[in-house]
Amino acid sequence: MSKIRLYFPKVLLTFLVIFALIGTGLTVLIRHSALNTATFRIVAEQQALDEKAYTVLDNYFQSRSNSTGIPKEVYLEAIDKNDLRQGILDSVSQAFDYLNGKSDIYEFHMNFTELEQSVSDFFNQYADENNYQKDDVFQKKVDSAIAEAESEILFVADTFKFSTMYENGWLAKAKKAVALLSRVTAGCCVITVILLILLALCCKSRMMEILYWWGLAGLTAGLLIMVPSLYILKTDYFSGFVVREPQIFAAVTGYLQYMMHQICMTAGVTAGIGILFLVIFSIFGHKNDKL
Amino acid sequence: MTEKKQKSTGLVYVLTGIFMLILCTAFSIGVLITPYEKAKTYLNIIFMNQNMKIMPSSGLNGLVIKENEIETTPAEQIPEEEQKFYDTGTVIRPDFGEQYAILKCDDISLSVPVYWGSSAELLERGACQATSSVVIGETGNVVIDAHVNTFFADLNKLVPGNTIMLYTTYGIFTYEVTEQIQFQNTDKKYILPTEEDRLTLYTCEAQILGTSSNRIGVLCRLVSRQFYNPPEEG
Repeated sequence: MSKIRLYFPKVLLTFLVIFALIGTGLTVLIRHSALNTATFRIVAEQQALDEKAYTVLDNYFQSRSNSTGIPKEVYLEAIDKNDLRQGILDSVSQAFDYLNGKSDIYEFHMNFTELEQSVSDFFNQYADENNYQKDDVFQKKVDSAIAEAESEILFVADTFKFSTMYENGWLAKAKKAVALLSRVTAGCCVITVILLILLALCCKSRMMEILYWWGLAGLTAGLLIMVPSLYILKTDYFSGFVVREPQIFAAVTGYLQYMMHQICMTAGVTAGIGILFLVIFSIFGHKNDKL
Repeated sequence: MTEKKQKSTGLVYVLTGIFMLILCTAFSIGVLITPYEKAKTYLNIIFMNQNMKIMPSSGLNGLVIKENEIETTPAEQIPEEEQKFYDTGTVIRPDFGEQYAILKCDDISLSVPVYWGSSAELLERGACQATSSVVIGETGNVVIDAHVNTFFADLNKLVPGNTIMLYTTYGIFTYEVTEQIQFQNTDKKYILPTEEDRLTLYTCEAQILGTSSNRIGVLCRLVSRQFYNPPEEG
């Protein structure tokens, strides 16, 4: 009778441990991987975002040259792939400065000194060659060409669309969530530990049985996350997304794919530990079987 | 007896494991079904909108660009036995992005493909015809524009009396320049539909220092319609 009486609390506690483990794993992953500048750097490298962004800019300035007559080289000789790579990484670090409370506003900026000089030089040379009067209208045209180019470059280099998220208030919401995340992670860890201790107390008459319940919790938690993650990875689910800008598509899907790998790996490790516990229990825990 | 007991306990362990997995899966599905449906909707809106899906084409951004083989031999150079034209005929309405005509003007050595519709990609390839204007061969205003730095660089050199030819897969249409025009990009008077047959060609005002809000162009009157085939019955 006492066996049955303890069986149901163990099942209930294991059930709770499973979701506490999932919660802990996911919050730790979000804190240390999803919201980590290193992850964005890796994705930027893996997906060659700088090259994709450069191609987009090349096409854009080529297309614009048809209507403005300003050769694309005026812009592209002042902005190379290294500048774009740095710009992409800057957009990430500036967004994280905002998310982590180091800055009150998100304002993505890049160093355009060389670009401004290049455009000004081209306009001045043109004006000199054609005896064009360098008046206020001329200066306005120079400023307008520079502003337009800078705006496009910032748009293209902001591959993770932090500006859009900031303008739509999503980044502000994320900032609040990030502030709470450490506490939520700590809370999940504490709950998990308490539940594991309670489970151990239920098995105090036969300590080896802890391995079964902990192993079962680990395996189930791992499988619950790993199976859908594997499905998403194997079916290449994110490739079905439609994003018009190639550099944004690569950034978004690359990031999601990377995170899916991380989740899958964590779930695999959890399931692996669970299997290990179950194997040890099945080898050494069968004597004097009691539930 | 002990062995039997051990076996039944082992079975309970296995069944408990299976039960736990089923219970947790069912619970997860129950809890996540509503958020998943919501997320799916947002994902569809943000990433999987069918209207934005990229179509298989040689173009970009979902644009299907179609090129057509168009004969550009002037009517007078076509052998006499083949010279059979009709004043009326059936026009073939093109799809957006379809190159359905070639615009030629020997006076300024111009020969440019004409696409139905206008976009940055099409303007890279040739002249574009506004879909708000009539298809070449129909009665009304045919409005065509192109970039000033490429195809319409010499448009300002057209003078009244010059001849413009439009070759399509269904006929040859001859226009004569009647007037040079200049207007602001906000002024629609020249590109609005008209009752009389007219060809309006325009481009940006040549200005190397940035884009111009001024538009320059020409108005042309229809001289002749030469359809390759008579009107289809029905």
